[in-house]
Amino acid sequence: MPGIFEALPGIEAPVGAISRGLARMWEGAASEGKPSPPSEHAKAIQVNFVLHLGLNTDAADAVRQFETAVRFSRRYPSRVVVLCPLHDDTGVSEIRAKVYGECTLGKSPGDTRCCEFVMLSYPRWARTNLENQVSVCLSTDLPLYYWAHRFSEAARLADYRYLLTTARRVLIDSATAPADAIGYAWPRPENVRDLAYARLLPIRQSIGQFLSRYPVAALSTGLKSIRLGHGADVAAEARILLAWVVDRVAAAGAPAGFPATAAPGGPPGSFELSFGYDGGKAFAWKADMATGRATFDADFGTGHTVMLATAALLLPENALSEAMFF
Amino acid sequence: MADSERHPFLQGLSKHRGAPPTVVVIFGASGDLTARKLIPAIYNLSFDNLLPADFHLVGYGRKPIPDEEFRTIASNAVKEFSRRELDAAVWKRVAASTTYVAGGYDEKAGFDRLAEHIKDIEKGVGSEVQALFYISTPPSVFFPIIQNLGASGLGGRYLGKPHHSKVIIEKPFGTDLDSARALNAELRSVFEENQVYRIDHYLGKETVQDLLVQRFANSIFEPIWNRNYIDSVQITVAEDQGVGTRAGYYEESGCLRDMIQNHTTQLLALTAMEPPGSFEAEALRNEKVKLLKAIEPVALGPDKDMARAQYAAGMIGGKKVPGYLEEKGIAPDSSTETYAALRLSINNWRWQGVPFYLRSGKRMPRRVSEIAVQFKRPPGTIFPQKEGFNLAPNTLSFQIQPDEGLSLILNAKIPGLDTRTQPVKMSFRYATTFGSNTPEAYERLVLDAMIGDGTLFIRGDEAETSWALYTPVLKYWRSQGPKGMESYAAGSWGPEGADLLLTSRGHVWRQP
Repeated sequence: MPGIFEALPGIEAPVGAISRGLARMWEGAASEGKPSPPSEHAKAIQVNFVLHLGLNTDAADAVRQFETAVRFSRRYPSRVVVLCPLHDDTGVSEIRAKVYGECTLGKSPGDTRCCEFVMLSYPRWARTNLENQVSVCLSTDLPLYYWAHRFSEAARLADYRYLLTTARRVLIDSATAPADAIGYAWPRPENVRDLAYARLLPIRQSIGQFLSRYPVAALSTGLKSIRLGHGADVAAEARILLAWVVDRVAAAGAPAGFPATAAPGGPPGSFELSFGYDGGKAFAWKADMATGRATFDADFGTGHTVMLATAALLLPENALSEAMFF
Repeated sequence: MADSERHPFLQGLSKHRGAPPTVVVIFGASGDLTARKLIPAIYNLSFDNLLPADFHLVGYGRKPIPDEEFRTIASNAVKEFSRRELDAAVWKRVAASTTYVAGGYDEKAGFDRLAEHIKDIEKGVGSEVQALFYISTPPSVFFPIIQNLGASGLGGRYLGKPHHSKVIIEKPFGTDLDSARALNAELRSVFEENQVYRIDHYLGKETVQDLLVQRFANSIFEPIWNRNYIDSVQITVAEDQGVGTRAGYYEESGCLRDMIQNHTTQLLALTAMEPPGSFEAEALRNEKVKLLKAIEPVALGPDKDMARAQYAAGMIGGKKVPGYLEEKGIAPDSSTETYAALRLSINNWRWQGVPFYLRSGKRMPRRVSEIAVQFKRPPGTIFPQKEGFNLAPNTLSFQIQPDEGLSLILNAKIPGLDTRTQPVKMSFRYATTFGSNTPEAYERLVLDAMIGDGTLFIRGDEAETSWALYTPVLKYWRSQGPKGMESYAAGSWGPEGADLLLTSRGHVWRQP
């Protein structure tokens, strides 16, 4: 079974000659008639982006995340460095590099955007060198974003301290990271964002827009309980969604102490949110990510309303941009 | 509105993701603008999940059109004009809530039917629904529409609440100062100012908004953004098209009304205004009005601050094109200008003595809009021109369209043993950095109106101040008839008189 470095696309290049490797790669693409940068201008860079594939990442998962980074870069041209750390017991004694490039053809020749990726495979002993090596691959002065995918050992934070400190945002995904990852001693915890929370943006928007049509008192008065049923595959999102709803009803003036429970066991990709009230009020929202459909069923004392709506989680590349820029 | 003042369930979401249940009513539903811009804008907002789930679109027009036919017309518009391909699932959502009401613009009963239709929608929604009326009609029916919105009660829905009725009105906001005042008075008889959104789509362009970001989010520009460092400013809004099918409208309008009074003047205001205290609508619009009020009256007469011309036969893109007077629907003795240029002076501390040159025209060599800020020449003490040094004044140019971006002319050393200098261009291109599939101006503006954000719209007093500046010019030109009207060959950059506006001050027009 190949390692993650081998599984990723690209051309191997000497670590000391990555720039030359990139130039040769584009020359090769041009000679084969493949899209290549028409000029230096086409290699636009908005951000530096480090994708750190943690030790628990397998080859298929690495390719999936790499492809997400590629799709992200089509929209937000980035200089991407992919970190592929090796387990301590591999006995490897060198850093290896691969280069990969891709051009997106736009509506006009001036709209061609090309991105460059550098993959680095390294044993842990090389960590003292690693940050310097990454720095020469990044574009000076542009902001750095760091996606710590399946980063699972708090003890290794120190290996990446400089990058994690200078990053404008550090992204983790609580759906795949250890439960306590968000609480690691990140150098700048205020910059850490959870991709699971970002993925929920359309859901938060949909529920928020629906409930914001009602006065806050109608939502909070008499609230007895909140229940969120969900499929096992969206457990992380459900945990975050429930916390968000509880926080919002509290902001709307609901008294503290009502039970808020998550109930796994629903069909895959499903959510069922309901508020229990004293008296005749009711609110329920059911959503199915597979069909992209949701139903609101509400009565806050001004009449019974049933409304169909869309329901979807953000695509991975859109969740990245949401977590990075907003 | 501060985030903490919003409904708790909207806090933390972008303001553009918080639109309330809304019904958008388009007057002029079968018109060109509706097909080219409004329907595609609504489709793309739906594509981006920015419309509320309870969104409804209602077309209103004189022609009876069944709902299903209107949906077909709308989907064809998306297919032809949207920046994105039509996605069946997205369109199904929009189509399901798209309906049509037939009625005359001066027919009160038609507006009563519309009011009933909106009430029915509201019943289905189960809560109060915001009504946003988009007047996309010829100006001749602005007044009856506004009056009937008042008479039917549609204009006053939910006054005092954030989801009160709103009205978007397309230019022209009058044809001179008197008519602008009359239109504003009519609007004010039905609506509060904060219900009125006068649209100038230039303000919805990404690059125009970027002008504000470049000016006020970069500390390097503000210290030199004044008469101490800036020599002159040129604002160009050029079209390569002729009058086309708009002959009737254009004959009445002309270049000054069609382009200078609105788009070009908005670019001027954003370039020259003082930094607003915040990015709130009123703060920004206050500064624009202050700037417009500081512009000195245009000196009228030959060899003064203005030039006008009509295009004569010439060549565009290698093909012969007729002159304005030979165009279909144009009177052979027309004295409507297809080109206008002005030299404006701003009488304030920042800009006194810096000429602002504005020009716009049809049948110019290419479609281009740009703002070029030319800085003063460096003192030639080290690299004197007489010794052969080629030094250009630094010029910062904002390309509004096409090739949206920013470029700066700097002087650099030509590599070699001798010290020789040459101007070089440093460029930033929107498309290469951000891609070109960015939201259309109308998407941003329609959504802004839905959420009640008037920052990128024209306030009533702003429209009047602008007309106060240009109405004397219009009156003077009308008094002169064809006298003094120059001509320029189609495909050229304009008449000689426009060149003289600049050469008399030691400047020349750019050829962007």
